[in-house]
This record gives sequence, C-alpha cells and structure tokens, in this order.
Amino acid sequence: MSLMPTPRRDIAWIGRANALVRYGVLIGVGLIMLYPLFWMVAASFKPNHEIFGSVSLWPRDPTMDGVVKGWRTGTEYSFATYLLNSFAFIIPKVVLTVVSSVLVAYGFARFRMPGKQLWFALMVATILLPKSVLLIPQYLMFREFGWLDTYLPLYIPCAFATDGFFVFMVVQFLRGIPPDMEEAAVIDGCNSLQVLWHVVVPVIMPAIISVALFQFMWSLNDFLYPLIYLSSVGKYPVALALKMAIDVTEATAWNEVLAMSTIALLPSLIVFFLAQKYFVEGITSGSVKG
Amino acid sequence: MYDNRVSGYLYIAPFLIGLATFTLFPFLSSFLLSFSDYQLQDPVQQARFLGLGNYIQMASDDTFYGSLGVTFLYVFITVPLKLAFALFIAFVLNFKLRGIGFFRTAYYVPSILGGSVAIAVLWRYVFAGDGLINQVLVWAGGEPLNWLGEPAYALFTIVLLRLWQFGSAMVVFLAGLQNIPTDLYEAATIDGAGKARIFFTITLPLLTPVIFFNFIMQIVQAFQEFNGPYIITGGGPLKSTYLLPLMIYEEAFKYFNVGYAAALSWVLFLIIALFTIIAFASAKYWVFYGNEREDRE
Amino acid sequence: MTKGRVLLRGVMKSFGAVDVIKGVDLEIAPGELTVFVGPSGCGKSTLLRLVSGLELPTGGSIMIGDRDVTCVHPSERGIAMVFQSYALYPHMSVAENMGFGLKIAGLPKAVIKEKVAKAAEILQLTPLLDRKPRALSGGQRQRVAIGRCIVREPEVFLFDEPLSNLDAALRGQMRVEIARLHAKLGATMIYVTHDQVEAMTLATRIVVLNAGRIEQIGAPIELYRHPANLFVAGFIGSPRMNFMDGIVEAAEADAVHVRLNAATLRLPRHEGDVKPGAKVTVGIRPEHFRVGSAVDAGDDQAVEFDSVIDLVERLGGETLAHLRMPSLSDGVLVVKISGDIPLRIGTGLRVGVRLAQCHLFDADGRAVGASAARVAAVAA
Ligand SMILES: Nc1ncnc2c1ncn2[C@@H]1O[C@H](COP(=O)(O)OP(=O)(O)OP(=O)(O)O)[C@@H](O)[C@H]1O
Ligand SMILES: [Mg+2]
Repeated sequence: MSLMPTPRRDIAWIGRANALVRYGVLIGVGLIMLYPLFWMVAASFKPNHEIFGSVSLWPRDPTMDGVVKGWRTGTEYSFATYLLNSFAFIIPKVVLTVVSSVLVAYGFARFRMPGKQLWFALMVATILLPKSVLLIPQYLMFREFGWLDTYLPLYIPCAFATDGFFVFMVVQFLRGIPPDMEEAAVIDGCNSLQVLWHVVVPVIMPAIISVALFQFMWSLNDFLYPLIYLSSVGKYPVALALKMAIDVTEATAWNEVLAMSTIALLPSLIVFFLAQKYFVEGITSGSVKG
Repeated sequence: MYDNRVSGYLYIAPFLIGLATFTLFPFLSSFLLSFSDYQLQDPVQQARFLGLGNYIQMASDDTFYGSLGVTFLYVFITVPLKLAFALFIAFVLNFKLRGIGFFRTAYYVPSILGGSVAIAVLWRYVFAGDGLINQVLVWAGGEPLNWLGEPAYALFTIVLLRLWQFGSAMVVFLAGLQNIPTDLYEAATIDGAGKARIFFTITLPLLTPVIFFNFIMQIVQAFQEFNGPYIITGGGPLKSTYLLPLMIYEEAFKYFNVGYAAALSWVLFLIIALFTIIAFASAKYWVFYGNEREDRE
Repeated sequence: MTKGRVLLRGVMKSFGAVDVIKGVDLEIAPGELTVFVGPSGCGKSTLLRLVSGLELPTGGSIMIGDRDVTCVHPSERGIAMVFQSYALYPHMSVAENMGFGLKIAGLPKAVIKEKVAKAAEILQLTPLLDRKPRALSGGQRQRVAIGRCIVREPEVFLFDEPLSNLDAALRGQMRVEIARLHAKLGATMIYVTHDQVEAMTLATRIVVLNAGRIEQIGAPIELYRHPANLFVAGFIGSPRMNFMDGIVEAAEADAVHVRLNAATLRLPRHEGDVKPGAKVTVGIRPEHFRVGSAVDAGDDQAVEFDSVIDLVERLGGETLAHLRMPSLSDGVLVVKISGDIPLRIGTGLRVGVRLAQCHLFDADGRAVGASAARVAAVAA
C-alpha cells in the first residue's frame, strides 16, 4: 500500500478547464485586437495591389517600396523632418512637465499652508475640465503673444504644471512614502530644496519616469493643438504630417501611408516595451493607492 | 513640515500662475466670448456684446441638436461597454495564470497608441471599402459593407476605436482586483458563499472606488473625443459622427464663429460638469471607501 | 558646563485645534540618558520632534546647551536623530548615508571620509561601507542610522523607538550596544520607547508622559518604588499593579486604616493627608504577594488572605495566578510567583501581603505617604 496521497483527478480537471477557458478568451480577444496592428505592419511591406487582394498577413512579394516612399513623403520634407519637429517640442514639454509637476506635488504633499485644500481641489478639478472650453481663448492669447506657428504654445504652459493629472500622480506617490527620510535630511542640514533634490527625487524616480513617459506618449499622439497652432508644413510634427498624407495620397498608395503610420507608432511602441512597468504603475497610482 | 509657511506656496507657485493664466483666465474668457459675436479674423477689441444671442441661435440650430444627440449616443454606448469589457477581461486575467504579464501588455498597447493619428489612419483603412474588415467579410462569404459611408456604421467604427482602447481601464481594474486581500475571499468561502455571491458581496463593493475612478475618467474623455471622428470620418456622413468637440473646432477655426464656438464649448463644459457632479454626489451611496488613510502632514 | 544640557520650559504644541503637548517643563542634565515612556498617542514622539526642531512649539522655549534653540533649524541645534524606520537614504551607500550631513555642511571629502571611518569603526560597520541599505539586515541598518548620528558629533542624540522594528533577540543585543555607546560617548541621549525593559535598563531617568503632560520624572527604580500617582503606578511594572478600591476608616500619625471589601488594612505612612471616610485606592504589585511558606507567621507587617484560583499562566521561570480574593476586591487580582509551581484552577490558595509594600492613592489618584520608602528598609 502506498502512503503517497493520490492526486484528486476531478479537482485538477476543474482547475485545468478553468484555465483553458481563460486562455481561450484571452488569446481570442488578443488576436482580434492586435490583428489590425499586425495587418498594418505587414501592409507596409506589401505592394499596393496585394493589400487589397488577400487577408493573409505575410507579404507574398515583400517590398520596401512603401516604406521608402512613405519615408520620403509626398511633400518637400522627408519623414525625418516631421519626426524631428515632433521631438522639438515634445522634449521641452516632457522636461518642463516633470520639473513643474514634481515641484508642485512636493509643495502639496509635504507643506502645511493655509488654503491648501482649496488649491488641491482646484487642481483635481482641472483634470476634469474639458480642453475645448479653454481652446479658443488660449488660441487668442497666444495669438496676442505672437506665438502662432511656433512651438511655444505647445510646451510653455507645461512649465506651470497645467496637467493636473501628473501633479496628482506624483502627490499620490509621495503620500505613500513616509516623510522620515526627508526629516533625516533636514536634520542633516538640508533646506527643503536640497531635501527635494538629494532625497525626494531619487526616491520618487519611478513616478517621475511614469510622468515623463505618459507625457511623451500623449504629446506624440496630440493632434488638435499642433493643428490649430502650426501653419507651416516645415514645422509639422508627425501627427499633422500623417493627416496631410492621407489627404494627398490616400486613394492610391496605401502601403506608403500605412508604412508611415507604422513608423509613426514606432517611438511609442519602443518606449512602451522598454518601460511598460512604469505605465502600469503610473496609471494605477492615481486610482488604486488613493 | 519644515521651512516656513511661505515655502509651500513657493513650490506650488508655478501651478498657481498656470492656473490663473492658462486655465482660469481662458475659462472665464470663453464664458464672456460666448456672449459676443466675435469672429476669429478680427482683433479682439471688435467683439460686440450679443447677450444671449449665441445661445438663442443654438436653441434653433439643427446641427447643434444633431451633434448633441450623436455625442450622447457615443458617450452612452462607449463608456458602459468599455468599462464592462475592461472589467470582464481584468477578471479573466486576475487568476494565477502563466503569462498574465504578456496579456496585460498586449491589451494595454492599443490604449497607449489609440489616440494617435496613425491609428486613426489605420482605422480608416481597416474600414475602407476594400479594407481589412470587408476583405474578411468577403472571405467569410458575406457582403462587404459601406462602413464609412453609412451613418449608423460610421458611428460604429469610431465607437469601436474607443472600445479597442479598453486597456488602460483594464489595467486599473486589474490592479484594483489584485489589491483585494485574498483572506477576504477565503473568509467568505469558509462562510459558505458561492462564487457569484463572493463577486457581488466582496469583489464588486471593494472595487467600487476603482470603478468610480474609471467611470469619471471615461466620461470626461469620451465627451472630448476629437481625433477619431476628425480623421476617420471628418464628422460625416450626414454629420453622423459630428461630435461636439468637432463642431466646436469647426465653428471656431473653419467658420471663424468664435462667439458661437465658445457658447458651444460652455454647453459641453456644463454637460461634463453635470455628469461629474452627479457622479461625485452619488458616490457616497455606492462607492465603498474602506480603511481610509489619515493625511498626516 | 552646560554642553549637552536640554531645558524645556512650558513647551506646548497644538495641531490645529488639538493640543498634543500641554505645557512640559523638563531639565535634562548633560550626559543623561532620558527615556520618554507613555501610552500610544500621548505625545512622546511629538515632544522628541520638538526637541529636534522637526516641529516648532506653539508655546514655551527650548534650550540646548547655553542656546535658546526654540526657532533654530534642526541641523543647527547640535542634535542627531535615529528614526523608528531608520530613514536611511535608499539610493546612497552606507558611507554616503553617514557622511551626507557633513557633505551638506560643505566639509572637505577627506575629513568626511575620516569621520565616517571612525564612526564605522565604533559600530563595526567598516566592511559594509559600500553597501546600499537594501542589502543590510535590520540590525545593520539600525547601526548605520546610529552611525549617521555619531558622525555629526551632536550634543544630544534623539531616538524614536529605534528598536521596535527588530525581533526580540536583536532588540536585546542592540539595547546593550546603545547602553555601551552611551557609556563610551558620554553624550546626552533622549530615547522614546514602548518597551518597559528598554526603559528600565537604559534610562538614567525616565519621564512618564500621559496625554501631553509629564506625570513623573525619576530614576527607573524610583518610579517603580514611589510612583507619584495611579497612572505611573499602573504604567511602570509588568504585569500591572493590582488596584483595589477602599475607604479610609481612620487616620493615625504613622498609619492609615483602609477598609477594602471585607478586610481592613493598616498601612504605614510617613506623610500625606487623608481624612476618615475618604475614598482611596490601594495598589499592590503582583510580585509583592507572598504565597504559602514565604510569609512569616509572626510578622505583624504582613497579612494573609484566602483566594480561589481563577486562571493560571505559566511562563516557566515564573507563574502568574489570577485570583479571586473577595476580602480585598470584587475583581481578579494577579499574583506573580517565581518558579513553576503546580496550581489548579478552582482550588484555594493562601496569599500574604506585606503592608509596607502596599501603595495608597487618594481620590485624585495621587500617592499618599511614601509608604514604599519603608519597602527599601524592609527589603534591606
Ligand atoms: N502632524 C500631526 N497632525 C495632527 N496630529 C498629530 C500630528 N502628529 C501627531 N499628532 C497627534 O498627536 C498625538 C501624539 O502623537 P505622537 O506621535 O507624539 O504620539 P506617541 O506618543 O509618539 O505615540 P506612539 O507611541 O504611538 O508613537 C496623537 O494623537 C497624534 O494623532
Ligand atoms: Mg511615536
């Protein structure tokens, strides 16, 4: 007689069936969702007629034609110009957002001051305020400044923590960190700015990275603001260039436009895959920990 | 905590300046503009006071009613569906499965990319006459449909684009689910509660703060959707996807009727404000905040 | 010389409408190790943080050495602090953690290095200097936190429950190390703790706080022997002192007759003023009961009572008996017996009390007559 406990087949079976159903759902939904993306990447390497001709992903006659022509774009500038244009305002935007959000969040999370509740409530309220109600006066204001057709309207507001969401994210993160370390630094002789720089910033680095990444992504996706502020094609970012491309080349050169789209998504995809944990942490910190 | 009480204000000073300059001032300005006949090409000084003129015009503007209807339709379809789907998938994922991380990433990708022009462009091709969807339909033996040409189908395509981005809501739900201590489930099981009962008496109540957060965010975002309809359908056909933000944009920057656009934007603001206020006011009846933390300063 | 002296005068602290420290006067002599004890939330940490300067008082003044530091920045008060959570900077190595204050003060690198090395030597941290805090054990982190203080060469060390995150064995070990460090550096130290053993063994003086006020200050053994009031009597000593309600029957010059449930005790006293008919409380420490043969039959300073055993807790080295003694009290009294003696629940037990070891408190909870002074004489 064996002393080994016999595995309960029925229980194991229920567990496995459960897992099987879950995997089935997950894979099915995942395939349907991601298929358009795969299709887009594949189409970038197909000759035009093949895109319409078959549902299959794999190009029968792989060609770089679409990518090369897409990169050249139909305009006087190559896609590189548009990419550089995007970065020309996204980088200052990200830097200013990070700096201002951290300063403001630090003020909110760590200082006692009269009226703080009110300001904090207003900050949260700005998160919910629809952008279109501000769009027109902001446009008029920047027109008065003479900032039309420059990148200034796109990033200068970020120097003033106008994205309440990011401030909120950092505040939530800071609330989760006991202030002991900062107090130790005060005893070690730091003033509050030194505490911020030497202790707080290193400790909240994950939150800072999240802020930077989200701002990067959202700015790359942003369309409406460049659309109203930029008028010279030479200053267009990728988003506007793409819109222009479909207006010009749509009917004929699908592979070019899809190749451009693929390239346009690459920076986001690369950044996302390199740093996805920061996205997950960032998006959940505002909702779950709070 | 340290320094004097002024230093706190020094740190939030950027925010206060930004709030005044880039939020409150434009906010009030658009309110004033909404009572004017201001045209974009004129100097601001030439704006004339119209009284309620813009609002009266709006009351008899069929385009506005159409746009309002489509906007509500869009929001009321996308928000519940997206939340339900996100919750469902989060639930499926919240299980000790190998490869959760992989699926979470895969589902999250669309919502990271979804707002971009590139995806809107892709959508256009996916639903074009000889695009991917129709190819699949034909391949499966069906009839191709005129997705972007039929009003009902066109709205469907932009609804689908939003649903496609359920990933961020799902990630938040998943984190919320994983935040629920397992001993609660165990205690309930020992108390004899079945699976459905556990879901309705433990999971759902404990998840309400997260549901609330997602709900507010989704409502606010859905009311502001612009990129999708602007690029995929241009608001058409027959204004079937002419969401309010699109109308505001066109009134201001295409027809230069800034006063009217400002009035429209205030209507949109009031609608969103109404929904948020109702949501926050109702929160105390259905959102369950357990173990609240004290805010020690 | 007043270097290392700490003087609090009328110190008060409110958070909004909540008064947390309600007027504290305290003088700490140079080189003393003063321990703050008190129930959770009584303001121990707040008082310590007031000394450190992390909180500013809403009233009163604080002096360290010869200086009034009431409004001085924490780093310029000549203090250093060890936090309960250690509060090490996670992104800096042990050496950087210890030298951070000196770096902020702008000292040259070589000097910093030397001072850090010296402190590391004292605490046996030298091999760990390049590690990050996350790669240290709890005890090692604790030592780094102390090292960070030593490097600053403060007049006053402040500790806020420094050992409460450690397991029991390590706590004992670190306690000895802190005592040794105190002896070696001779610096003034203020130490907050929940732990009676820490308080009794480390302190040169204990300050008992309750609800933002000082209840009593004194050497550990003095607090044990002469608790000034009911609160201190109940707080110092473990298990807790037994309290019994009584009424004064008669007051003589050197003794008070107190009627308890069914018995009258003649308690010796030296001073204090109680009138016949006054309500009082009699306190007896669990360890001051005598069981069986320990009581001398002829001792008129002792009385014996019958009791019934209600519950027995056997700790090995000692036994705690919960007894019903209807003649003394309606409640259950705890008696501590050294050794592991067999006791059965429900059986009777005869228990003796030395009258000189009883404490007497008036209706306001103040101790009456230092009867315990005689305990010393009796015990000697
Ligand atoms: N920043 C603050 N704001 C408001 N109240 C505070 C603050 N800090 C402390 N308190 C209150 O002051 C009282 C004393 O707190 P303190 O931390 O000094 O207690 P403690 O004696 O150290 O307690 P414990 O033994 O639990 O550490 C508590 O009631 C606490 O809630
Ligand atoms: Mg404390």
